[in-house]
Amino acid sequence: MRRVRSLTLSVFSIILFAVFLNKAPELLNGYWQRILNLIAINAILALSLNLIYGITGMFSLGHAGFMAIGAYVSALLVLSPAQKNAMWILEDIYPWLLNVNAPFIISLILAGLAAAFFGLLVALPVLRLGGDYLGIATLGFAEIIRILITNTARLTNGSLGLKGIPAYTTLFMSWSCLGIVLLCTVCMLRSNFGGVLRAVRDDEVAAKMMGINTFKVKVLAFTLGCFGGGLGGALMGNLITTIDPRMFMITQTYNILMIIVVGGLGSVTGSIIGSFLVTTMLECLRFVENPITVFNINIPGIPGMRMVIFSLLLIVVIIFRREGIMGMREFSWDIFFPKPKHKKVKEESETVLELENVKLRFGGLSAVENLSLKIKRLEIVGLIGPNGAGKTSAFNVISGFYKPTSGTIKFLGKSIGGLRPDEVCRAGMSRTFQNIRLFGHETVLQNVMIGSRVRQKYQWWQSLMPFIFTDVIREDSTAKAQAMNLLEQLGLDEFAEEQASSLPYGAQRRLEIARALATRPKFLLLDEPAAGMNPQESEELMKFIRRLRDEFNLTILLIEHDMKVVMNVCDYIHVLDQGVHIAQGTPDEIRKNPRVIEAYLGAGASEGSAA
Amino acid sequence: MELNIFVQHFINALSLGSLYGLVAVGYTMVYGILRLINFAHGDIFMLGAYFVYFATIVYKLPWAVGVVLAIIGTTVCGLLVDRIAYKPLREAPRISALISAIGVSFFIENFAVVVFTGMPRPVVQPPILMQPIEFSNGVRLIPLGILVPVVAFILVGALLWLLYRTKPGLAMRAISFDIETTRMMGVSVNKIIALAFGLGSALAAVAGIMWALRYPRVEPFMGMTPGIKAFIAAVFGGIGSVPGAMIGGLLLGFVEIMSVAFFPTLSGYKDAFAFLLLILILLFRPTGLLGEKLEDKI
Amino acid sequence: MEMLKIKNLNVNYGAIHAVRDVSLTIERGEIVTLIGANGAGKSSVIRSIMGLVKARADEMIFTSPRDDKSVSILGKPAETHVKLGISLSPEGRRILPQLTVEENLNLGAYIRDDSDGIAEDLEYVYSLFPRLKERRKQKGSTLSGGEQQMLAVGRALMSRPDLLMLDEPSLGLAPILVDEVFGIIREINAQGRTILLVEQNAFAALKVAHKAYVLEVGAVSLSGTGAELLNNPKVRAAYLGG
Repeated sequence: MRRVRSLTLSVFSIILFAVFLNKAPELLNGYWQRILNLIAINAILALSLNLIYGITGMFSLGHAGFMAIGAYVSALLVLSPAQKNAMWILEDIYPWLLNVNAPFIISLILAGLAAAFFGLLVALPVLRLGGDYLGIATLGFAEIIRILITNTARLTNGSLGLKGIPAYTTLFMSWSCLGIVLLCTVCMLRSNFGGVLRAVRDDEVAAKMMGINTFKVKVLAFTLGCFGGGLGGALMGNLITTIDPRMFMITQTYNILMIIVVGGLGSVTGSIIGSFLVTTMLECLRFVENPITVFNINIPGIPGMRMVIFSLLLIVVIIFRREGIMGMREFSWDIFFPKPKHKKVKEESETVLELENVKLRFGGLSAVENLSLKIKRLEIVGLIGPNGAGKTSAFNVISGFYKPTSGTIKFLGKSIGGLRPDEVCRAGMSRTFQNIRLFGHETVLQNVMIGSRVRQKYQWWQSLMPFIFTDVIREDSTAKAQAMNLLEQLGLDEFAEEQASSLPYGAQRRLEIARALATRPKFLLLDEPAAGMNPQESEELMKFIRRLRDEFNLTILLIEHDMKVVMNVCDYIHVLDQGVHIAQGTPDEIRKNPRVIEAYLGAGASEGSAA
Repeated sequence: MELNIFVQHFINALSLGSLYGLVAVGYTMVYGILRLINFAHGDIFMLGAYFVYFATIVYKLPWAVGVVLAIIGTTVCGLLVDRIAYKPLREAPRISALISAIGVSFFIENFAVVVFTGMPRPVVQPPILMQPIEFSNGVRLIPLGILVPVVAFILVGALLWLLYRTKPGLAMRAISFDIETTRMMGVSVNKIIALAFGLGSALAAVAGIMWALRYPRVEPFMGMTPGIKAFIAAVFGGIGSVPGAMIGGLLLGFVEIMSVAFFPTLSGYKDAFAFLLLILILLFRPTGLLGEKLEDKI
Repeated sequence: MEMLKIKNLNVNYGAIHAVRDVSLTIERGEIVTLIGANGAGKSSVIRSIMGLVKARADEMIFTSPRDDKSVSILGKPAETHVKLGISLSPEGRRILPQLTVEENLNLGAYIRDDSDGIAEDLEYVYSLFPRLKERRKQKGSTLSGGEQQMLAVGRALMSRPDLLMLDEPSLGLAPILVDEVFGIIREINAQGRTILLVEQNAFAALKVAHKAYVLEVGAVSLSGTGAELLNNPKVRAAYLGG
């Protein structure tokens, strides 16, 4: 019902807007038509940068460079040989370039592809960097692109730029392009692949553990974003009809960045609204730079005043509403309707894992020293030890986050030492983390669905056009049903549509486990599942862990400090102290083991007095 | 290459590099503490140049007085920027502060257009700085070319002294590693951050003044390119490290001047070299020459 | 004479209720210890006393032996605490890795201006930990774990605190060093400083403490003199499960 209503309203308003655009050339003067065009182009640019930064979390300052590539590719294709001949004054144009020509639409696609190609070249080396360094490196690339354009005069006419580009960017063109980009973006972001992108942003480490090759995903998103940048640049060139290298300075990137931040990082509708607001405001503020006459008094225009006011507004927005207009939410028709009230309701004994003399050293420091252990199928095994004993390090080695310095790790009979976390995950192992690592901005259901991406067969690009590749819809709905099922089993179904970070603590822990289960593991690593729980919650957790083993046929290895939990739930326990494997045995044996007591309560404790 | 020409290039590279270095130091101090790329720093540099222009050329004050006033004025502006645009965002996600920095940068540039107009204004150099000195082996130098690196080295030396020999300096170094522990020791963190902004702005002012003398003119957007390049210099040297920033600045100055000196045909690409070098350094030594390696924690 | 009095302290981290209604008092000249298993909330208590985490409490009153004035320290920034005479050697030592040993120590004396007194205390710290003197010009990162621990304790002493708080000073140390550290804690206490000791190494802590509190999942489950608790089987249960 709600979906039908939203769909009707969306279709209706799109039709209304299309009719308006159709009539716009008669209704509006050239100035307003130009603003409308700019809004569409800026929205394309903002969406593409948002895909890179807001959705996938890669701080890129290089968008202007990719715009430049797009603008030049398209302009060079649509300019006529006569125009080119007349324009190249300082140096001759390459003869092969003189006669290259293509229709506008083809030039747009080629512009996008060229930008995407350069984006890929940039991404492969640079995306290994993180955070601010990535921003600086991409800024550097954008500047290099600009300098190359300035200096390859035979190709680009250098600093003189290109003039007289046919004004092919009509309202129809720019808004259709935006429509297509928007449709593809929304389809992709709604599919499970979109969930994967956001998962990489929210928590790359956890995403790896869901079997996702995060580097590949980042390269993809970056390249796609660059395609949008090139497309936007091409439309811009054909709107303004002149381009030169100075148009694509860092300021251009800042403008787009501002749009997405004002609209809300990661929000698609935010980018559209942001580009409406920022573009209109930038244009409308032009009046402060023109002379005005009020009551016969001439106020001269003040050059620069426009950007002064604009930047002040920007600072105020960021200080007082730092998440932007939309935050990470999306626009929905439902905000105009009262919300319906939510009903609140309450195999045989083979070896699964085998470590042999595993050592892990950081520099001179030894984190794990000669750890050997065997875990049998359907066992629940505890790994305990005082602070700094090397338990989490051991987990990180087993799950592929660290390479062991020496020793072998066999999982289901195959050696997995040195595999990446996503490969380990595919082999049938999953884990949770000490400090819960959920994809906090996603819903509970989406979190679990990301775990099933490993098993889906459709390719990322099919998610751009789900209406053609119906596999996307079919597989996603299967994944959704399975995820829902899992949530029901774990008693989380009532939260399915809530944001993961808004859940109560105990439920977040369970959700992290549900997400791990969605990869269909045979072996589950739990890192301090009871941390931060009160006594009743840990009581429930114990039952829950046993149920997990029985219902999902799991073998479980857990790190835990809450000894009640460990002693009650584990069949077998291994004890580490300062990296050394000091004891193993059943809970009763461990409780009486003098070395264990000493490790926990201090030297001398086992001799009686504290006992 | 003739000795005379080479010495000219060398001195040019040294002065350009030390100017980059002076600005880079301000970036590196703020980034080291707040992990914020202070995009407005290049514009603070521009303000220094304008202040000295107004003091000495418009209001005809003696240079010594004008320079002091310009440094004070610029420092106050730097402190205001921190207080108004960054301090409210200390607990916010880093992108917020970054966008605020971009906003401040736009604001200062365009405010300068409004107040000073967008026209470049010529700076009249004091003749004493321009009188060439001729050496017996035919090498000719102007005093300004020597003054710039000397002043820069003295100032960075003084800053290092402050950082390594005084208590506020100790606190500043400590904050860049671990704000909480430093707070535990009784250090008032906000005061130290303000000190970093103040010192960075003062050094940027000096750089701006010397830049205005060297390329004798001022204009509202003069801080943009040197600002970005100085930031790159800071990344070269290992962001967070003051000596690194100076070394990075010098390296950049030498790359720019010498590449053009030896390969005049490539002069159009001189900025590209800087960026290419930046990317190579980032790829092979992501934390710069003197930077510390930071590890991700799982 | 009371030095620190806390009534119903509560600390929350997001959805986690880490400290629940903890009340404790520390008398002048005592060694008080807070023991409990990992994750019991010990560090949260000590960090909220230092003003490093947001906490709620009915009262948190510090009475300075310098002037016998009582002030509420709840919600005040850490600098105030240091000036009042409280200092903390944090968990994980938190040595500033790029500063030398002596610079780390000088940072501890940041709030003081009496250079003679600082020099005197520096000598005092070096006499407690002669190894630090040997390494005074070395960077913090080059020290061994035990030496870093000594440096953290020494640094906390440099502000001349009346109440010295030590968070897990024996963590990760070889047994022989653990004995040495606890010997030094006694020595510092004998010179008139009050000490609040957070420890996982319960046995060693109880042996030196006048008074002890056992924390279990954020709440005080037992308290008494060190000697009493040393013989109480419930302490072991708190660590190893009953």
